[in-house]
Amino acid sequence: MNFREQRENFRNKKISAKEAVQEALCKVENDKLNIFISNLRDSAEKRAEEIDNNFEKYKDRPLSGVPIAHKDIFCTENIQTTCGSKMLSNFIPPYSSTVTRNCDEAGSVMIAKTNMDEFAMGSSNETSFFGPVGNPWNDSLVPGGSSGGSAACVAANITSISTGTDTGGSIRQPAALCGITGMKPTYGLVSRWGMIAFCSSMDQAGPFARDAFGCAALLDAMASYDGKDSTCSKRDVVNFENALAEDFGALNIGIIKNIEDLGINNDVLEAYEHSKSVLQQLGHTLKEIDFSELSSGICSYYVIAPAECSSNLSRFDGVKYGYRSDQNNISELYMKTRSEGFGDEVKKRILIGTHVLSAGFYDAYYLKAQQVRRMMKNKFEDIFKDVDLIFMPTTLDQAFEKNRQDSDPNRMYKEDLLTIPANLAGLPAISFPNGFKNNLPVGGQFVGNYFKEDLLLNTANKIQEVTDWHKMTP
Amino acid sequence: MDKIELKNLLFLARIHAEEREYPEITKKLTNTFNLIDEMNNLDLQGLEPLNNPLELNNVSREDEEKNRNQKDKFLDQSPESDDDHFMVPKIIE
Repeated sequence: MNFREQRENFRNKKISAKEAVQEALCKVENDKLNIFISNLRDSAEKRAEEIDNNFEKYKDRPLSGVPIAHKDIFCTENIQTTCGSKMLSNFIPPYSSTVTRNCDEAGSVMIAKTNMDEFAMGSSNETSFFGPVGNPWNDSLVPGGSSGGSAACVAANITSISTGTDTGGSIRQPAALCGITGMKPTYGLVSRWGMIAFCSSMDQAGPFARDAFGCAALLDAMASYDGKDSTCSKRDVVNFENALAEDFGALNIGIIKNIEDLGINNDVLEAYEHSKSVLQQLGHTLKEIDFSELSSGICSYYVIAPAECSSNLSRFDGVKYGYRSDQNNISELYMKTRSEGFGDEVKKRILIGTHVLSAGFYDAYYLKAQQVRRMMKNKFEDIFKDVDLIFMPTTLDQAFEKNRQDSDPNRMYKEDLLTIPANLAGLPAISFPNGFKNNLPVGGQFVGNYFKEDLLLNTANKIQEVTDWHKMTP
Repeated sequence: MDKIELKNLLFLARIHAEEREYPEITKKLTNTFNLIDEMNNLDLQGLEPLNNPLELNNVSREDEEKNRNQKDKFLDQSPESDDDHFMVPKIIE
């Protein structure tokens, strides 16, 4: 059942919040893909009863009566929040994130917290301390990452909506690999307060749903100005669900010249070509754009993200909260706590970040990476003078086998080639299913100008009105 | 990166590793730096570094009294604490 039907059934009293929650919890408890880190049956049933008992109060809210799963990166008061790490495996936050509070307020019921790459560092959901997640289409394949649990949860029809975060593609890539819709909003649209930090200048929370409609409703709930996050946008948030019905007219859509030279798999390219013809049938004009800088984003990202991660993760020292390795002196305590509490990928990124920020290397790496970031932003600004949005594949490949990281880690990093540029520039982007090859979904994405989420959602929704890729289920 | 440089880096990052693990760590880091070094092929002259995609807001709030004393709540999270302090091993020998 998709989000829209589920919410309608609650509003029409065909199903109570409690019934919806119990059905979803049953699926959580039968999950064979390791999608979840915690199951919140007790609190979920209580919350669902409260919503049912106050039906009039909740019925018109954007997520009324709908079960939701949150990525385990969002702090939830008195509920374990691990960020996929041994370091936080015993952490019970004393407060809730703005995102989860907003979703509660919007009438949803949190039923579980989803598995993820450790501290959101990974593209395959294999770096989690709690083990890898399987792809619902084929459990020997990865669901993508880092929000792999949240994407798999919607793809497997356990909940109709879930939350994720996207620092270099961590919503869009798993959405593509699992065959659902996922959106990274403009940096600053959604509050980062209570969202465990990885790379603060790029981290952005966003929605997963089967279709653009579900993403619009969930984004309506998630987005709000928040004085607790100094990078949160003060502009008025538009109603994204209402924007789906608006007529934005015929658009100029940018298509990147020679994109096939970037190493994109032929099946993904075929789906991309087909979607281009759908866009033309819908009356849009495709304009070829030169974006040769696109592939440079990745080298900049693997300086900036580790640099910010090394700084953000320095707080985990075994003293105030989280895992501690008991030692006889404070220096040993720090060193052993961090080497035992963090997994290999996280430690590697901390070391890279520490190196690029250290005296003597700052100009060669960090400063240069920030210049690349400027180049990327300038280029996007130029492009958006001519086109309304850009269309490209979300990923180079479809879902891949587990353990690929071991044979070629840089290949795994390059998996984010097409998603990273939007993060560097802080732009919104939406990934949606746009094909099906080898019994697996394929994803395409739109990147839009700042705060054009309404246009992105509207355009993706129009495609979903004439295609069925988003209706396919494992 | 030689052994001494890696040892320094590990200390700066406060991460412990046994010396036998050094070759594997060096290999992984070198691999990533090969990817990063592709930046050297770009012409970046005259570009102002960008550290945040959007202009930062200056956030202020009303000077209202709030219950900020949540000492017990936070000390409860600590691996080891007494009534008022986070406890750590002896710092001065």
